Amino acid sequence: MSESNKKISLISSEGEAFEVSEAVAREFEIVAHMLEDGCSGSSIPITTVDSNILGKVIEYCTKHVEVGNVEGNSEKAEKDLEEFDKRFIAVEMNTLFSLILAANYLNVKGLLNIGCQKVADTIKDMKPEEVRSIFNIENDYTPAEEEVVRKENEWAFQP
Amino acid sequence: MASSSSLVLSSPSLTPVIKDGEYKNWAELPSELTSSILQRLSLVEILENAQKVCTSWRRVCKDPSMWRKIVMHNLGNLWYDREIMCRHVVDRSQGGLIEIEIWYFCTDSLLNYIADSSSSLRSLTLALCSQITNNGLTEALMKLPLLEELDVSFSTLSGDSLRVVGQSCPNLKTFKLNCLGDIRTANEGDDDALAIAETMPGLHNLQLFGNKLTDAGLNAIIDHCLNLEHLDLRQCFNVNIVGDLEKPCSERVKVLRRPNDSTHDYPYEEVLVFNTMRASEDGFMPNVSYYHDFEGASDNSDYDPYDVYDDPYDMYGDLRF
Repeated sequence: MSESNKKISLISSEGEAFEVSEAVAREFEIVAHMLEDGCSGSSIPITTVDSNILGKVIEYCTKHVEVGNVEGNSEKAEKDLEEFDKRFIAVEMNTLFSLILAANYLNVKGLLNIGCQKVADTIKDMKPEEVRSIFNIENDYTPAEEEVVRKENEWAFQP
Repeated sequence: MASSSSLVLSSPSLTPVIKDGEYKNWAELPSELTSSILQRLSLVEILENAQKVCTSWRRVCKDPSMWRKIVMHNLGNLWYDREIMCRHVVDRSQGGLIEIEIWYFCTDSLLNYIADSSSSLRSLTLALCSQITNNGLTEALMKLPLLEELDVSFSTLSGDSLRVVGQSCPNLKTFKLNCLGDIRTANEGDDDALAIAETMPGLHNLQLFGNKLTDAGLNAIIDHCLNLEHLDLRQCFNVNIVGDLEKPCSERVKVLRRPNDSTHDYPYEEVLVFNTMRASEDGFMPNVSYYHDFEGASDNSDYDPYDVYDDPYDMYGDLRF
């Protein structure tokens, strides 16, 4: 079996096995490093990521490997991939949170990038109260601390 | 569970399992990830909104690593004292500032404040900052020996002050001294080109949009700047890249932008548009094809001509129109 046809099973926290090509598994940099360090196991337990999230990360990596393998027509492929990313990352906030954590932990840089960008795009133009409500964050400032921040913002003149 | 492998990525007892759909408090995201998210916001969004969300976000926003790169362009609200704001974020960088880009409002005193506190600065852009004097600029640059990229487009730097710039920044790899190509008169002048050739031999990237240089000046640059890879001579209508110049230019320089090439990706496009408007008010209508390649204009489909009014006062400043 040639290198590119080799299959690897990624096992989720619930014990569910996801069989992927080695190329897809290597998109997880954490796995790529293990393989380079001489680990040759055909199944890799990823005990800290549940099946839903692991499945999504694999879906992302599979698409990116597929598009990377197609030769020529690179402009169209890039555009398709952009569209895919956009749809892929349009998920609920809770799922986005888990995807970012998983992308960071498994070291899938492209996914981490679009995840962080999605959050930044969402925050943009939002007042602090709106951010707190959408991201489920408690305002833990004391009035004294709030005053410090307010005073620090001396650049903002009121018209 | 398949057990043919002895590999286990982390232990469940140490790391909580990342599950989909649980109730998530974003304030608990690891700070390096929060930082990676908030760094994608503009400076005003960070200072005015993000840091006020909660104390953990505030800690991230105060960390010097958030402030290695500062961009002050299109701040939107004219009621901000941009100089105080800039000093504040430079203070937050605690000397770790690597890259700063300021449009319109930088002064000599602000520039020297930045230079005094940022000795590791690698990249400095002072776009359309008409208040900066040549002395103020050269004084600051002497404190920035590590500078590799300098953009002083639309400044009045030329000749001897340019030599001081070159001598103060021995590591300079990118230099941009753009102005508006003066298409009404055919002024010629090689002062800038000769100063660059003499004092900036290490350049890889040179952008001289709208410069008055002639073939002699270009020849000097090509002869002295042996590492040049990118050369932008758009709107430099006094050079004629033919004959003896053609070969070294096209062989050695990887990306050569010629005088009549399209301006659609010019970073100071908004100034060109502004000048076109102004010129038509003066009763002079420039050949618009100099300013736009309409086939390439779709790249600017989201371009907002009113960005020009980012600061209505500075727009009437001392530009080289």
